[in-house]
Formats: sequence, structure tokens, C-alpha cells
Amino acid sequence: MLYTIPPMGILKYVVFLLFFITVESFARPVSYPGGYTFMSKSNSLRDTVYLHYSPTSRNAVGVEVVSDKVSNDEYVYLRYTRLLIRKNRQKSQGNLYLNTGISNDGLDNYFYGIEGDWETRRIFTGFGYKRTETNRIDIEEKYLLAGVAPYIGDYGDLHTWLMIKVKENSYTNTSSLYPLVKLFKGSALIEFGYSDSANWDVHLMYRF
Amino acid sequence: MKLLFLVLIFITSLNALNVYANEDTHVHLEMSDGSSAKVDQARFDAFSEGLKQAKILVVSVKGMVCDFCARGIEKTFKRDPDLLKIDVDLNFGKVLMAYKPTAKINEKSIATTIRDNGQEVVKIDTLY
Repeated sequence: MLYTIPPMGILKYVVFLLFFITVESFARPVSYPGGYTFMSKSNSLRDTVYLHYSPTSRNAVGVEVVSDKVSNDEYVYLRYTRLLIRKNRQKSQGNLYLNTGISNDGLDNYFYGIEGDWETRRIFTGFGYKRTETNRIDIEEKYLLAGVAPYIGDYGDLHTWLMIKVKENSYTNTSSLYPLVKLFKGSALIEFGYSDSANWDVHLMYRF
Repeated sequence: MKLLFLVLIFITSLNALNVYANEDTHVHLEMSDGSSAKVDQARFDAFSEGLKQAKILVVSVKGMVCDFCARGIEKTFKRDPDLLKIDVDLNFGKVLMAYKPTAKINEKSIATTIRDNGQEVVKIDTLY
């Protein structure tokens, strides 16, 4: 497995490490009952815009518009996410989600995957697996995520997570290890990371 | 990238200073039923200011570790016209709620609402 070093100079590494040592990450694919969530993601494989509605805290249904950078196609997924397991503890929470989607291109174009996370107010860990099948190509994506909160913010504060993500996809057959920053305040969240091989990995989210 | 990280460090540092400067002590609040609830004194004082006639509840919640997830609790309870004020204390795992003096409090319903949001109620203490 080949890991690429993030494109950072010495100063950037020092800055990043200082930030990491002194200073929190995540995104929930299911909202509270009656809640709407808007998400936009961009990475080396695709740009997406996704709006979902959660009738309960365990289910979300939504529509995702995808601009596929591999096939240069644009299509729409009807998506369903199910919270399979949630473990609440006094100081932590763990979750396991099932993600599925079917495209307007037909029954041969779909994806499925799982995502899991465990977090305290200081530490975050997560993983994900997704398999996308289309008429032309099948892609598997996997990631591992670990992060730390440099400070513990109060309710309503700006919260910050500094994270490391390892990502792999079968299309380019490469793995990337890169830093990622997640910021959220109130109902808005932004997450971004960058590596030479994965390029920009950006995620925006807003809950209504 | 360099500029981006420097800006983030600056924002984070300011926020960290603010968080540490506002660190509060806690107090065991005596409740109506004789029990006590551990709350952040300054936070509770600020919350209860001007709410002398209100029915105040201190709800202890498990699994409330993140601001983004706790938003659902606030948004759901704010739909209730009898609710005057709500605050979430992530440090102590508490939800502070103030209801109109005339409101009928249904603790079971409150616990169910929080459970439906994805967290678990450990205890509900009342102060009225």
C-alpha cells in the first residue's frame, strides 16, 4: 500500500502539528426527527449536492445530484440511510450507519456502504466503506479517520477538529493520507483536507 | 494552504482562550423532590435569571457529546409553545428547560423526545 505524503513544507508540518497538539471532527448522515440537511461534497471522484429528510433519528431519505469526474456523467441518486447501531455512554457515542442509493440511470446503477464512528468531546474516530456500481465501472472506496479537539467548546461555540484521514479507492488504486480540518458552529459545518493524490476533499453541511 | 492554516490557528486560539476564560465551577442544586442535580452554577444562574415563576427542569442526558447532534434537542423542544427557554450543557451532559408556570410537565414525553433525537435520558430533576 502506497501512502503519499501531504504536500506540505516543513513550516506547514510544524504549524499543523502545533495546531494538532494544542486544539476536534464528524458529520452525521441522519438528522433529528423532522430535520432537513443540506450537504455538498467535492473530491477527486465526484462533486455532489445532497438534500435529505429524517422522519426519525434512525432513518434519512434524500436526493443526491452527482457530477461524476470518472465518467463525466451527471446523475441523480435516491438515497436511504439507516442508523443501525447507536451506543450512548455518559462521555461518548458510537454509531454504525448503512448507506444505499439507486440512480435515475436504472437498477444497474447503485451504491451501498457502511460508515461508523465513535467520539468523545476530545477524540473522534471513524471509518467508511462504499461500493458504487454502474454500467461502466465499479468503484470501491474506503477511509479511516481519527481526530482530536484542541479545545472543548461550549454549546454554540465554534468547534474545531483536527484530523488525519486515510483514503483508498479502487479506481485509481491509490491510498492517500492527509490532514483534514473540520469546523462547525450552530447548524453549519465545513470540512476540508488536501493531498497530492486525493486533491481537495471538501464537505459542507447545514441542518434546518 | 499556509495562509489557510495560519488563519485557522488564529481563530482556534481566540476561541480556546475564550473557552478557558469562561471555565465555570459547578454546584449541587437542591431540587423540588429533595434530590440534587450537579449543574454549572454560572450557567444555571444565567439561565434562570428572570424566570422566577417558571418550572425549571434539569435533564441529565447520556450520549450528548457533540454540539451538532444536540441541536436537534433544542430545535425539537422549541416547537413546544409552553417552553420559555432551553440550554444545553455539553460539559455536564444536561439540558436545562424552563416552562411556563401553567404548563403541564410530562417527564415521560420529554424522555421520549430526547430518545427519539438519539440520546438517552438518565434523570429528570424538577425545580418548581
